[in-house]
Amino acid sequence: MAEKESALVLSNISKYFGNVCAVKDMNLEVHDGEFVSLLGPSGCGKTTLLRIIAGFEVPDIGEVLLDGKNILDMPPNKRPMNMVFQRYALFPHMTVYENIAFSQFLKKRPNEEIDSKVKKMLELVQLEGFEPRKPDQLSGGQCQRIALARALINEPRVLLLDEPLGALDLKIRKQMQIELKNIQEKLKITFIYVTHDQEEALVMSDRIVLMRAGGTIQIDTPKRIYNHPNSRFSATFIGESNVYEGEVADIRSDHMVISLNGLKILTDKKIDIGKGRHVVIAIRLEKVKRVDKSVNRVFNNRLTGKLEDVVFFGHTIKYYVRVSENIIVIAEEELLGEESGAEIEESNIGDTVTVGFMSRDVNVFLE
Amino acid sequence: MKKTKKHIYLLSPLFTYFVIFFFVPLFILFIYSFWRKTSTGLIPTFTLFNYISIFSKQLYPIVILRSIRIGFITSIICILLSYPVAYSLTFKYKRMQDFVLYLILISLFSSYLVRVYAWKTILGSNGLFNQVLKYLGIIEEPLTFLLYSPTAIIITLVFIFTPFTILPVYSSLQNISVDLLEAARDLGASRMSTFYRVMLPLSMPGVITGFIFSFVLAAGDYVTPQMVGGTEGLMVGRVVQDQFGMTYNWPFGSALAYFTIFVLIFLINCVIWITRLLKLRR
Repeated sequence: MAEKESALVLSNISKYFGNVCAVKDMNLEVHDGEFVSLLGPSGCGKTTLLRIIAGFEVPDIGEVLLDGKNILDMPPNKRPMNMVFQRYALFPHMTVYENIAFSQFLKKRPNEEIDSKVKKMLELVQLEGFEPRKPDQLSGGQCQRIALARALINEPRVLLLDEPLGALDLKIRKQMQIELKNIQEKLKITFIYVTHDQEEALVMSDRIVLMRAGGTIQIDTPKRIYNHPNSRFSATFIGESNVYEGEVADIRSDHMVISLNGLKILTDKKIDIGKGRHVVIAIRLEKVKRVDKSVNRVFNNRLTGKLEDVVFFGHTIKYYVRVSENIIVIAEEELLGEESGAEIEESNIGDTVTVGFMSRDVNVFLE
Repeated sequence: MKKTKKHIYLLSPLFTYFVIFFFVPLFILFIYSFWRKTSTGLIPTFTLFNYISIFSKQLYPIVILRSIRIGFITSIICILLSYPVAYSLTFKYKRMQDFVLYLILISLFSSYLVRVYAWKTILGSNGLFNQVLKYLGIIEEPLTFLLYSPTAIIITLVFIFTPFTILPVYSSLQNISVDLLEAARDLGASRMSTFYRVMLPLSMPGVITGFIFSFVLAAGDYVTPQMVGGTEGLMVGRVVQDQFGMTYNWPFGSALAYFTIFVLIFLINCVIWITRLLKLRR
């Protein structure tokens, strides 16, 4: 870790609320200037973890180190970190200017300095001239930009964001995702971003911390976590996968054969396991394609079955194929033009189709 | 257009009631305050004599000032006692909210007079307070200043009017999101400045409502002073009552009442103005 400094280190953090474990033995190193997302379903402890970093909760066990110093004894107002809240938390009795300048008033900075800083922040979030407005005169998206400006004016060592886009509608949310990422890259401030939206995490993060029930499931880059999920949870929470349980039927030099109730699936040999072991396999929907006479695709896994359903998603179509009594394989194809999607319409439900996928796209986990 | 005015009909019953039984009598009283009283009766005229004669005797300004002082001290104590209760009910002991509010309301179930009598027995020279102090050996002779003094009035009125300040302060604190307090802390505010810069300004409407309730009711109270106030505790309400009853000087009584009302309105506006000056209000 010589080339990259760790700005924030969480070591062995555990937090209980009564008998309920909110965070379980959490370890994480966040590098300087990194964008890390804490991703997980609601109640997985991601917000609690963020509040521990901010200083609003005290962990029962563990340490929080900022630039090598333990900051657990520091109250929230002394920590060089700022937070952006889900519900904006703008002070309703203050103008936009007073909201953004709040931390600078407290630091008793000279007025001219505050003026120019506020102006710079409003430029950054593209809301120049909004100084005299009150929060109730702003839209949700504007409120969240002001909240961001208010947190950034303090030049925090680490910016904490608690589902900041959760209350916005889809279109503004997508736009804000890009903007947030741009601001983060421009200012090179370390971001810790809490979200339950896997797409948001994939779009923005340098690394994703996938959490469930207070524990860490996987910590990795979006690409690796997507292509190489380490568990059934990773494979299904981030993106969509075909997930099946089976047994290792045969092991060859570079391949394994997994048997799903007699159905043989070929996989690359990624983990060392013995024959007969119970495993879970996951294949991304978009790695599974229909094998058509007209389209030339080479797949070393091919399954044939009855087409049960076709669902149209705009840019993609999903095909539900029953390849055995209790196994349905979903294939997802992009709608490129007439040659790929248009041939099988809903009228073809009940037809026999063959779907295929590569052995390298089959992820195998022990459970 | 017709649709938007429909709610007027819903307001009209209370409005009519208030006009007939409150505003009209109040206006008549206002007219009276410009009349003259002679040995033969009341003469309809227009004179400021009644207002000027408030200052003819030392008694009246003293009594008015005392009423204002007692009302002001009572309301300030009420607010200071209510705020921590309302705060902890809102942010610390949420589960006890309903229970405690119910207890506060129960104190309003018993008659006002009964509560004043109760305080009379508590504060009296053979009352609970002196008995306990004597038993503990803290005093030998009973404390006589407890009963029949402005202090006794304030103690009693604080007890009676605290529910009227807790409820508005509580309801204004209810509207403050914990996020705002945490955001202030996060941005570098200490506990003190979070209170002063965020919580207090946002709860100020409730504080001012509570202040007005307790201040006006306490300054105008005329039963409690008679029961526990003694000679040193004569307040303006009693003096006004005497003008209408004993001396039958309605014009002077009206002038005294209106003068007090104007002074109270003026003082309330001063308080609101001061909170604005301290940036505690929008």
